[in-house]
Amino acid sequence: MRMQIRAPKDFWSGIMFLAFAATAIVTARGYSLGSAGKMGPGYFPIMLGCALALIGVILVARSVVAPGEPVGRLHPGPLLIIAAAVVVFGLTIQPLGLVISLMIVTVMACIAGRERRPLEIAALAVAMAAFSVGIFVFALRLPLPIWPSIGS
Amino acid sequence: MDIIANLSIGFGVALTAQNVLYCFVGVLLGTVVGVLPGIGPVTTVAMLLPISFTLNPVSAMIMLAGIYYGAQYGGSTTAILVNIPGEASSVVTTIDGHQMARRGRAGPALGIAAIGSFIAGSVATLLICFAAPPLAAIALKFGPAEYFSLMVCGLIAAVVLARGSVIKAVGMVVLGLLLGLAGTDVNSGIRRFDFGVQGLADGIEFVALSMAIYGIAECAVNLERKTEEEAAVTSNIGRIWPSREDFRLSMPAILRGTVLGSLLGVLPGGGALLAAFGAYTLEKKVAKPPRSFGDGDIRGVAAPESANNAGAQTSFIPMLTLGIPANPTMAMMIGALMIHGISPGPRVMSERPELFWGLIASMWIGNLMLVVLNMPLVGVWVKLLRVPYRLLFPAIVGFCCIGAYTVNSNVTDLYVMAFFAVFGYVCLKLDCEPAPLILGFVLGPLMEENLRRALLISRGDLLVLVQEPISLAFLIGAALLLLVVAAPAVRKTREEALQES
Repeated sequence: MRMQIRAPKDFWSGIMFLAFAATAIVTARGYSLGSAGKMGPGYFPIMLGCALALIGVILVARSVVAPGEPVGRLHPGPLLIIAAAVVVFGLTIQPLGLVISLMIVTVMACIAGRERRPLEIAALAVAMAAFSVGIFVFALRLPLPIWPSIGS
Repeated sequence: MDIIANLSIGFGVALTAQNVLYCFVGVLLGTVVGVLPGIGPVTTVAMLLPISFTLNPVSAMIMLAGIYYGAQYGGSTTAILVNIPGEASSVVTTIDGHQMARRGRAGPALGIAAIGSFIAGSVATLLICFAAPPLAAIALKFGPAEYFSLMVCGLIAAVVLARGSVIKAVGMVVLGLLLGLAGTDVNSGIRRFDFGVQGLADGIEFVALSMAIYGIAECAVNLERKTEEEAAVTSNIGRIWPSREDFRLSMPAILRGTVLGSLLGVLPGGGALLAAFGAYTLEKKVAKPPRSFGDGDIRGVAAPESANNAGAQTSFIPMLTLGIPANPTMAMMIGALMIHGISPGPRVMSERPELFWGLIASMWIGNLMLVVLNMPLVGVWVKLLRVPYRLLFPAIVGFCCIGAYTVNSNVTDLYVMAFFAVFGYVCLKLDCEPAPLILGFVLGPLMEENLRRALLISRGDLLVLVQEPISLAFLIGAALLLLVVAAPAVRKTREEALQES
């Protein structure tokens, strides 16, 4: 008889916690533990990592016993495009400056949406760039490059 | 009287031209963004945090507080006019508020929400004046053991009072604490969890984390909804000032909502949400005559709106006096304070009285501005409500990018934001509430430091946490809360209480 996952949401939450706990414990093993009276940098993280692992195990164990909700349908498309847009902003902000970088992000984000109207997207991108330069660079004087830095 | 002296310091600070301006800008921006459908107060504050970076700490806090209650009020406007709550705490307002709007009484609904919020805000502000100094005085006497246990108790309470599965919420708290530890350890100088990335030397940037979850992941979830609901915006507002009959009915409801909201707001994890739900339920039980709840009873708007504003105000009490956030918005306020180099806690009141009392005085001024602003500007809000989401979300993504980058001009923060956006989406899909994670994240380093110091003093004896009476009381409180919520009967009512509508 094979085990059945009866509460998928709980099961995957448990797996997620276990993954984070494992990462934490494995990484924190490199830091000195110290003792309770003189806690080293590894002490508290290991403690938390074990607590998190315990919670993960409970969730996974419970998910094969008690019934629960299934995970809703995932639509990772828009999310991944938007996350990619954020990464692209990171890659381009310093070499290309705010105007170009923000326009790329806006266009990419629009592509993640369901309705795509080219003219509207272009207008939004320009408006966003103009507004942001006005507010963030000129009014708030945040240290953002506006245009590509050539040669430097 | 101390209170009067304190308030006069406060008003002295809050009434300078500069701070009145920032308060106004905050309230206005908060309302404008909060009115936009699908954007709640937490997202609004997260998105507008960067605007405050260049200001001095006092003006920055005044503006952020203005943004917070502005957004709260904006959310109610959306709830009444479109029946789409911008945030969880205005869910109950939609029940009667939107019914009123459909019967052509949107005006009085908006009016009573503004007036109720103002009354509640004034009372809550006074309450802060009275309650905060003694609380801070007690907190000043706390040693590290008491502090550690207080934080445990606060986090557990936040979990118990939040919606959804308790064990998942505890997991999110622990994960938040862990994430909060990343970066250079103050005691040993060792960089923890930086995975060899230079940009993570200072840990995970709080602004990037909160924007990822409340800005970007939320966008992705919103985009999944099948069709962009062409929301039926009520354009027939009618007379805004409520009639005498409306006032007669609403006044008791406003006062009850204010009292309940003020009390619930102080609780960790409660804040505005619990206050609004609680007030509506109470009103249905006690209001006489108990006519028409659910069909546009003005008391069904007055009570929860007063309660959520009172709760929003009093949730500043634990943040300002103990340095403990009652909800994610307060966690962001703490984040903002730390960016300005101020560590929140009982010392803020004695060391930075102008910040403390200035902020409190500005809340009252801000509430007054809200009333003045909202009465004539309703027409503008109605137009804003028609902005389609397909134009809004790219703007949110763009502003989050700018915001995350400008905190430290550190590109790594953007990659962190992208990672946690995906993580936040997964969490929302798995019903793991992100709020406890944010609270844990803010408290992580503080908890470690206090535990370390407590154990240093006791020479490694963990029993110190239960030997100090105050510390023991907090831990017992935490244990009781967990036990109570595990009891099946309580669990059922808790679920019902938070799922009304």
